Amino acid sequence: MTEFGLLQTGLLLGLYVLLAGTWGLLYAVARLWSTAIFRGAAAVVYGLHGLTALAIIVRTPLGMGWKCLIVASSLAFLVVPPIAWRFLQHIHENESLEHDRKSSQHSGRVVARL
Amino acid sequence: MHFNDPAFWRAGAISTIVVMSVVLIMLTIDSLAAISPGGSHVPPYTVINQHIEYKFVAERGIEVPVIDGDQPLFGKALDADTATALIGQGKMVIQSRACIDCHTFFGNGAYYAPDLTKAWLDPAWEGWQAITGADTREGAMVKFLMDPEQYRTWTRTMPNLAITEAEARATVAYLKWVAAVDTNGFPPNFARIQTNP
Amino acid sequence: MYRSQHLAVKYFAAAITLFGVMTLTGLMSAYYYLNPEFLFGILPFNIAKILHIDTMVIWLLMGFIASIYWFLPEELGREPAGIRAAEILFYVFCTAVAVVAVVFVFVQYGGSNETALWFINQGRKYVEAPRWAAIGIVVVMVVFAYNVIGTTLAARKTTGIITVLMVDLVPLVVLYLIAFPALSNMSEDLFWWWWLVHLWVEATWEVLIGCIMALALMQLLGTSRRIVEAWLYIEVALVLGTGILGLGHHYFWIGTPDYWLTIGGFFSALEPLPLLGMVVHAVYDAGAKHMRATNRPALYWMMAEAFGNFIGGGVWGFMITLPQVNLYAHGTQWTVSHGHFAFWGAYACGIIAVIYLVLQKTRNLTYVDGLLWRWSFAALNVGLLGMIGALLVSGFAQAFVERAIGGSTLQAFIAGQENAWFIEGMVFRFLLGIVFAAGYVVLVWDLLALGRRVPAVAATSAAE
Repeated sequence: MTEFGLLQTGLLLGLYVLLAGTWGLLYAVARLWSTAIFRGAAAVVYGLHGLTALAIIVRTPLGMGWKCLIVASSLAFLVVPPIAWRFLQHIHENESLEHDRKSSQHSGRVVARL
Repeated sequence: MHFNDPAFWRAGAISTIVVMSVVLIMLTIDSLAAISPGGSHVPPYTVINQHIEYKFVAERGIEVPVIDGDQPLFGKALDADTATALIGQGKMVIQSRACIDCHTFFGNGAYYAPDLTKAWLDPAWEGWQAITGADTREGAMVKFLMDPEQYRTWTRTMPNLAITEAEARATVAYLKWVAAVDTNGFPPNFARIQTNP
Repeated sequence: MYRSQHLAVKYFAAAITLFGVMTLTGLMSAYYYLNPEFLFGILPFNIAKILHIDTMVIWLLMGFIASIYWFLPEELGREPAGIRAAEILFYVFCTAVAVVAVVFVFVQYGGSNETALWFINQGRKYVEAPRWAAIGIVVVMVVFAYNVIGTTLAARKTTGIITVLMVDLVPLVVLYLIAFPALSNMSEDLFWWWWLVHLWVEATWEVLIGCIMALALMQLLGTSRRIVEAWLYIEVALVLGTGILGLGHHYFWIGTPDYWLTIGGFFSALEPLPLLGMVVHAVYDAGAKHMRATNRPALYWMMAEAFGNFIGGGVWGFMITLPQVNLYAHGTQWTVSHGHFAFWGAYACGIIAVIYLVLQKTRNLTYVDGLLWRWSFAALNVGLLGMIGALLVSGFAQAFVERAIGGSTLQAFIAGQENAWFIEGMVFRFLLGIVFAAGYVVLVWDLLALGRRVPAVAATSAAE
């Protein structure tokens, strides 16, 4: 790898994950506040993340296996925020449905009798 | 519905950890064989009696240590036990002076002073031989280690760590052995100018 | 308040004190780069650095221990077993740390013999403490493990979180035994050393802070136990699922077989995924309370934890984790940039959050807010971001000049260190380090003063 290729690759990889994180953040905020602007922003950021992934594939000297990993990771980054949000909603909804809120002070729930 | 039950996720956590740990242990057993002296990647300590180079190998696409011919340290070939003892003392010097908190070995350590992985092969020692008046590379290295403040080359100076001659010789032997370890090409392009875009 | 909670407060105080020593010695270490004659012949760079990195490890460990001592009695409804031993050991621990530091500074090194390793300096990074002190640390941790496990036995009950903690304590203590041997073979030495360092900071410590954050979330947001437990198990599965074999990203260049390049690179490339989940979780929790809780600094520091962990560990780590890049970035200030950012985000922010939660209880405050915590939050985080940004620039320059172009010889090293961008980075790292240090001073001020100006706090909360 050339010295410039090194910096370019490192920066692209960092940007790739940063944009994935920003997409996750904006997705979560959009779900929280239900505003179109954040939904739009989230989509734009994920698009930029996709472009970064494409740049990594086209412009870096990584091997084919690693480029496949980048593509697979992008798909994983796409689904992690919605799955995480839906899961959080689901378990919190179930909590309130079952009226299962306990205070943290005296709630030594027995998992195992010793 | 089982997604709500922590026990479901607990089972997932336990199985994941068990699988990953088993794989790690298996790979560790394999790696320990490779990194033992005389293993596939780490030379026996008697390599200090031989000539070491660092050459590019096309099949692996990296530089690897090449061990060929005799080049005994300080003009005297050592048997396996003596070499092992010398290397052991060298490592004690390196630990007692906390070299790894200024320098790096295989890139691990602190970044205030140079990486020592291939220090044995550094072209700078030729100049040091002249400065120290030593006959050999190892002679120059010993003189430097015993009084680094006398042989300053740069604004950042290595301090005098009261290294005795015996300790210096052991350390030099250690550095020669370290240079012969196959590090999968680290550091890259050692002592070669990059010409390939 | 339980006795272990009083002990927790003492451990937090010790932790914050060592945080200060870490900051001071960090500034010193940074200054050597700018003035290589600094303390030359008096205190070499490596001693300042040893103090800096070792106080980091110990202040965080003390913070973990303190957090558990705080939450444990309320979790299990009784005073922890063996608390008297723990109380005594606290003073022994602090004294030992002080003695070790004094010996580091005034003796510095001995001869190349076992005596030096037993009494002065073991010379392996992060675990330089002489063997006698390492034994002390094992004793402290074993008693701590007893405090946890013995209490569950005495109470004849446990909780999901405490069970995870107990299981985690076993590798935590056992791995530390790697601090003792002095192996001749550097490859083997580093192989096992990375079991300790990586499986502490990227595995067992992650689980430990996960347990602590679970306990803290229940207190801060009133989140139900079942939810935090489910989340804790998911987090443990994902973090250890990627982190155990992610250990391989330290096995690229130490003389190990080259299959580690694939295995280590692959698994550590997956490590950002669980961290992304934590970011989403953090937003969910923040939203649930509209960024208001009864303890504003605690909430903000926990948000900093989630984001710092993702960006410092995940983003910065991903830049350098693939072997193709790591070959050049390895052993440069690029690594330093990642290390500072990751430790800050993953652990330091979380411990500070817990300290604010604890103070809310010990100072009897219904509502925690104010001006001082905002200034310290800003200064510490801006200072830290400035430092890691500067280190990134220096790291780029060093990887570029020393590794890629120069081939890592002595001359290449010097060329990298004298590169203008490298030097600028070092200058700004020092300057922003001063900002960080100022933030630390304000943090200490706030922690000491919190709740002791009740009218001001009440007025602020009334105005909210």
